[in-house]
Amino acid sequence: MLWALGLAGLAAGGSIVTLAARSEVLPEPGVRASLAAWMTLPYIFGGLLAWWRRPDSRFGPLMVAAGFAGFLSTLTWSSVDGLFTIGQAFDLLPAVLFLHVFLAFPSGRLEQPFERVLVITGYATAFGLQLVGMTLGGFGPNNVLAIAGEAGAAGHVLRTQLVVISSLCLIGVGVLATRRWRAGPPLRRSLSVLIDAFALGLVMIAVLFLAHVLEGPATEQLRWATFAIIGLAPLAFLVGLVSARLARTTVGDLFVELRADPAPQDLRDALARALRDPSLTLAYWLPAFGTYTDVHGRPVELPKDDGTRATTLIDQAGAHVAALVHDPALHDEPELLDAVTAAAGIALENGRLHAELRARLDELRGSRVRVLEAGQKERQRLERDLHDGAQQRLIALSLELSLLEERLHGDPDARTRLDQARREIATSLEELRAVARGLHPAVVSGHGLEVALEQLAVRAPVPVRLNVAVAGRLPEDLEVAAFYLVSESLANIGKHAEATSATVGVERLNGRLVVEVVDDGIGGADTERGTGLRGLADRVEALDGRLRVWSPRGGGTRLRAEIPCAR
Amino acid sequence: MRAVIAEDSVLLREGLGRLLNENGLKVVGSCETADDLLLKVRSYSPDVAIVDIRLPPTHNDEGLRAALHIRANHPSTGVLVLSQYVELGLAMKLLADSADGAGYLLKDRISDVRDFVDSVRRVANGGSAIDPIIVSTLLSKRRNDDPLAELTPREREVLELMAEGRSNQGIADALVITLRAAEKYVSSIFTKLGLPSSGSDSRRVLAVLLYLRS
Repeated sequence: MLWALGLAGLAAGGSIVTLAARSEVLPEPGVRASLAAWMTLPYIFGGLLAWWRRPDSRFGPLMVAAGFAGFLSTLTWSSVDGLFTIGQAFDLLPAVLFLHVFLAFPSGRLEQPFERVLVITGYATAFGLQLVGMTLGGFGPNNVLAIAGEAGAAGHVLRTQLVVISSLCLIGVGVLATRRWRAGPPLRRSLSVLIDAFALGLVMIAVLFLAHVLEGPATEQLRWATFAIIGLAPLAFLVGLVSARLARTTVGDLFVELRADPAPQDLRDALARALRDPSLTLAYWLPAFGTYTDVHGRPVELPKDDGTRATTLIDQAGAHVAALVHDPALHDEPELLDAVTAAAGIALENGRLHAELRARLDELRGSRVRVLEAGQKERQRLERDLHDGAQQRLIALSLELSLLEERLHGDPDARTRLDQARREIATSLEELRAVARGLHPAVVSGHGLEVALEQLAVRAPVPVRLNVAVAGRLPEDLEVAAFYLVSESLANIGKHAEATSATVGVERLNGRLVVEVVDDGIGGADTERGTGLRGLADRVEALDGRLRVWSPRGGGTRLRAEIPCAR
Repeated sequence: MRAVIAEDSVLLREGLGRLLNENGLKVVGSCETADDLLLKVRSYSPDVAIVDIRLPPTHNDEGLRAALHIRANHPSTGVLVLSQYVELGLAMKLLADSADGAGYLLKDRISDVRDFVDSVRRVANGGSAIDPIIVSTLLSKRRNDDPLAELTPREREVLELMAEGRSNQGIADALVITLRAAEKYVSSIFTKLGLPSSGSDSRRVLAVLLYLRS
C-alpha cells in the first residue's frame, strides 16, 4: 500500500512536469512546475514516512491526501477538458487540506468540535461551492460541468469562496496561537518551530486568496512565496522526525552515564536529558505499600490524564517498576521512550529498591515515634494515678493516725504502735515516690526543664555548672527527652568518668534545642556498650534529632544532642 | 489566726482542716481550684494560705502560679506550698527574692502534727518554712572548695534548722540547748561561711539557701 502510494507520488511528480511542459496556457512553466512539485511531493513523501513510522496516527494519511490534492489541482494546466474539469474541481481543496493537516498535528485528529466545524466548513466551501460555481458556468469553455452560462455569478461564488477560506485560515492561526500559549513555556523546542511554520503557511494562504479577490498587484509573486512556505511545513515536520532519530544518540549517552552507576537521585536527571524533557518526573511503584513514591520513598500521586501531562508505565520482567510523568509531546517519539526505558532498566530497579528502603525506614521511624509516645503517655498516666490515688490516700491515712495519736493522752504502748504504723506509711510513700519519679518526671511537665534541671545539677555526683538559656516552655516530649538526657549523662559521669566537675548547657540555636553535657574525666566512653547511651540516642532520634558523643581517652567526655524545635 | 486551704483531694482537704482547727487555727475557707483560692484570699485576707502545688484543671503549675500571685499581691497573707515532691528549682522560684511569709513542704510533713502546725504558724507570722529535704539536698551538693567542711557536726545541725526557717529559740528547742548557745552557733556559722549576719529569721533563710546553692 505504502509502496503503491509512493509510486503514485512519483507518477504525480512526473505528470506535474509533463503537464507544465505541454501546457499551452501556463506562463513560465519551469517555475510553476517546480513550485507545484515543491508544494506537493514533500507532503506525499513526508506523509508516507509519517504513516510508516506511526501507523496508528492519522497524520500520515492526511498529509498524503493533502499532497495528492495539490497534485490534482495542477490538472487545471491540462488542455484536455476532462482533466481540466477535475483539476478545477480540486483547485481550492489543497488550502483547506493544509488547514486540516496543521490543526490535526500531531495526532491526526481534530480534538475540539470547534476545529471540526472549521475544517468541515472549509471543505464545503472549497469543494461544494466550487461545484456550484462550475455548474453556473465559470472557468471558461473547458469546464465540462457548465450548465448555465452565468459566468458573472460564478465569479461572485469564487470570490465568496476565497474570502471564506482566508477567514478560516486566519481563525486557524488563532487556534494554533492559543494552543501554543496554553502549552505554557515550550517544553520541547522542535514542536514550537513546527507550529510557527504551520501558522505562517496559513497566513500566506489567506493573504494570497485575499489578494486574488482584491485583484492586488503582485498575485503571481505572492503565489510563489505561499507555495514555497507551505512546502516548508512538511520539511519542518521531517526535521522533527529526523531529530527524533538523532535523539537516539542521547540514549547512547544515557548508557554511558548509567554505566558509571549514578546515585538513585541522579537517575531522573539523566532520563530527563536523554528524553530532552526537563519537566520529567519519575515515580517508583512500591507494591508493598501499594503506592507510587519519589526516590526518597515519599508517596506521590500520578497526574490525571488531562492532556497537560502524560504518563508512561514501565514494566520489567512482568512486574511494574515505575512510571514516567512527562510532556505529552513525547508520545510522538515512542521509540525514544522505549529505548530510554530499556536502557535505564537496571538503574530503575535500583532506584525502586532505594525508594522502597527509604519508605520502610520512614515507616520504621514513624512506628518508633509512636511506640515511644505511647509509652510516655502510659507512664504519665500511671504517675498521675499514683499521685492522685495511693499517695494522697496514704498521706491522709498518716494524718488520720496522727490526729488519733493526739487524742491518746496516756497509753504509751498504743502511741508507740501508731508511731510505727506512721513510719511504715512514710516508707511506703518514699518508695511510691521513687516509682512515680521513675515513671515520669512530673516536675518537668509541670514546671519546665529549667526548674527540673536545678535539682539534677545539685544532686549530681560532681559539681555541675548549669547554663540553661531557654525562655519559656518547649514541647513536652522535647523537655522530657532533654531531662532524661541530662539525668542519664550525669549518672554516667558518676559511674565511669572519674571527673571532678561537669557542665550542662541547654540552649536554642537556629530552631534546634541543643543539650550539651561535658565532663573533665577520663573519657573513653563506649557509645555501643550499655543500653543507657543507646536508649538516649533512640529518644533523640525519635524526635528527628542527633546525638553525638566525643570521648577521647584522657580527654573528658562531651555529649551533644541537637533536636529540631520549631516553636 | 486564719487560714484557707486549696487542695483537690477531699480526704486531705478535710484532714488538713480538722488538723488546723484542732490546733488553734481557724480555717475560713477551703477549695480545690486555684481560681477559688485567689477569690477566697481576696475576700478573707487570711494570715496563711495552704496550697497544693498540683491543682486542677491541668495539674501542672496552677498551684505554684496561684502561690506566686498571692505573694506578689497579698503580702500580708503567708503562703505555704505543699507538694508530693520537693524540688530545689521550685523552692527557688517560690522564694525568688524573699523568704518572708513563704513555706514549701513535702506533703508527708502534715502527719507530723506538731512540726507542721509550727511551720504554718511561722509562715502566717511572716517567717518561712523550708522542707528539710531541700536543705539536705543543698548540703549534699559536691563542691570543689568547701567551707562547709570547716563546720562542726553541731554547727551543721544548727545550719540545717536555720535554713528550714526556724528562729534561734526554735533551734534551741529542737536541739535542747539554751538560747544563748544557739545564738553562739549561729554567729560562728556566719563567720565561717563569710556571710554577713542579717536581721530577720526569714532573711537569713534566703541568705543561707543562696549561699548553699551557689
